[in-house]
Amino acid sequence: MKKTTIIRDIKITAVILAVCFVICLVLHKSTKADTLIPAIFVLGSFLVSSATNGYIYGIIAAFVSMLAVNYAFTFPFFKFSFTASENLISAIIMIAISVMTSTLTTKLKVQEAVRAENEKEKTRSNLLRAISHDLRTPLTTIYGSSSALIENKDNFTEEQKEQILKGISQDAQWLSRMVENLLSITKLDNGNMKITKVPTVVDELVDSVLIKFNNRYPDCNVIVETPEEFAVVPMDPLLIEQVIINILENAVHHAKGMTKLSFKIFVSPQKAVFQIKDNGCGIPDKKLKTLFTGSCDTSDEGADSKRSNAGIGLSVCSTIIKAHGGDIEAQNLKHGGAVFRFSLNMEDMYE
Amino acid sequence: MNNKYKILVVEDEENINNLITTLLDANGYQALSAKSCADARIMNSSYKPDLVILDLGLPDADGGIFLKEVRKGSRVPIIVLSARSDEKDKVEALDSGANDYVTKPFGAAELVARVRSALRTSIYTGDNAGYSGERFETGDLSIDYDSRHVFIEKNEINLTQTEYNIIAFLSKHPGKVLTYAAIIKEIWGYSDLGSIKKLQVNMANIRKKFGAIPGEKNYIINELGVGYRMNNDE
Repeated sequence: MKKTTIIRDIKITAVILAVCFVICLVLHKSTKADTLIPAIFVLGSFLVSSATNGYIYGIIAAFVSMLAVNYAFTFPFFKFSFTASENLISAIIMIAISVMTSTLTTKLKVQEAVRAENEKEKTRSNLLRAISHDLRTPLTTIYGSSSALIENKDNFTEEQKEQILKGISQDAQWLSRMVENLLSITKLDNGNMKITKVPTVVDELVDSVLIKFNNRYPDCNVIVETPEEFAVVPMDPLLIEQVIINILENAVHHAKGMTKLSFKIFVSPQKAVFQIKDNGCGIPDKKLKTLFTGSCDTSDEGADSKRSNAGIGLSVCSTIIKAHGGDIEAQNLKHGGAVFRFSLNMEDMYE
Repeated sequence: MNNKYKILVVEDEENINNLITTLLDANGYQALSAKSCADARIMNSSYKPDLVILDLGLPDADGGIFLKEVRKGSRVPIIVLSARSDEKDKVEALDSGANDYVTKPFGAAELVARVRSALRTSIYTGDNAGYSGERFETGDLSIDYDSRHVFIEKNEINLTQTEYNIIAFLSKHPGKVLTYAAIIKEIWGYSDLGSIKKLQVNMANIRKKFGAIPGEKNYIINELGVGYRMNNDE
């Protein structure tokens, strides 16, 4: 255990016991309500064990309480006395109660930690399951198509070959974006990678995003509105580019009936807000809550939810934005469609 | 007589190496393949390739070492293959003399376009020689180096001194990614904390004067977090 936590725990123990002692002293002097005194010390030891790590402090507190009660608050006052059998018995009972409560609270704390760990494990395995499912689908196309071409190349017409090859190429591209997303998520989730923010010109970011997006979806026109003035936002530009593309791509695949997709950026001295709005079918309410957690259950989408990306795309977004110290949210619009909004803090990068 | 361009492909992954050499052959280049740094050294000195495609992760040594070795003695264009996440490696490779980088995984068209553009640059600049032309032209953009005038579709674009210097510098290395550091060093000679901002502001003004539309094929391509490149795809 770390030295600082030990010192902290010792301090907590000392302070709580001192407070108990003072309270008891006051009670003893003023009201003579001595029956309360052991109860107060038991409460003190209980508080100590719930505020500290491990059994040891609780037990120490129990022992010290017992000594304090015996020394200061039982007859003869301010003198240790274990000769009177009732003093001895009350001391033993007090220690027993204190030890028991402190072990109990410690156990509870351990159980709580185990439960949290389990919960984390569960989301992780859900995510893994979703990922494997999502990886298998394009791999099936790639493997199946390429082996079909190798084995029966003479039986296909040129047109069919072209079709098959296009399928391979598309699925491979999709796979590579998926891997990119996964890489970002694992790098950032461990918390051991610090984001290197560089001053990024909004127009350059938008330009780069649009070139990539138009390459992938030449038929989808994005209406862009950037700030009039020259704007620089500190960020890791490649990660933020990934966020924007993921959100745009999400709209293309999931906003059914969408005819208009817009991307707008507002800049204030404190914040830069990026907003992506579509006029599609909106986000189902039950999905809205888990949209960014990556725990999206794919089972209800059927086995051929091929381009679902298992909500990984969006959970990558939230991981990246959080790592930047920003906020991300999604809402349904009143008149249909959905809006995604994320903000990044402006800090002066040039100083 | 064989007057095809010779391209040395240094890549240890068998499949990727095969893919690139086949692709180059199909596009009328003569591809030479090396699978390690040691191989690459021998091939480079015995064949004198016109262009090198270099993977940075090689089994026997870092590709960056080979890059520096080659750069000591020649100006042969070098295209580096890198993974997307290795931002620092990319900038480092460019600063130690690589002409361009292609991110893995890449499409066939993308790689061939970069090869073509890098070869074109080396014709402009010639081996071991500085830039010698008087004019630069790509699409509707033309730059007259003698009179320091820039035109788009015959209309003169009014640039400041610094803006012109930046454009001229980029155009002297068409298709090559120039890192922020390289441009700053060329234009201002020194770099301080405000340099990047100065460069970004100047670029923003140039974009505005050129009438650049975000997402369209513009004359200057933004390489996010790395630098800028003069587009020379025709």
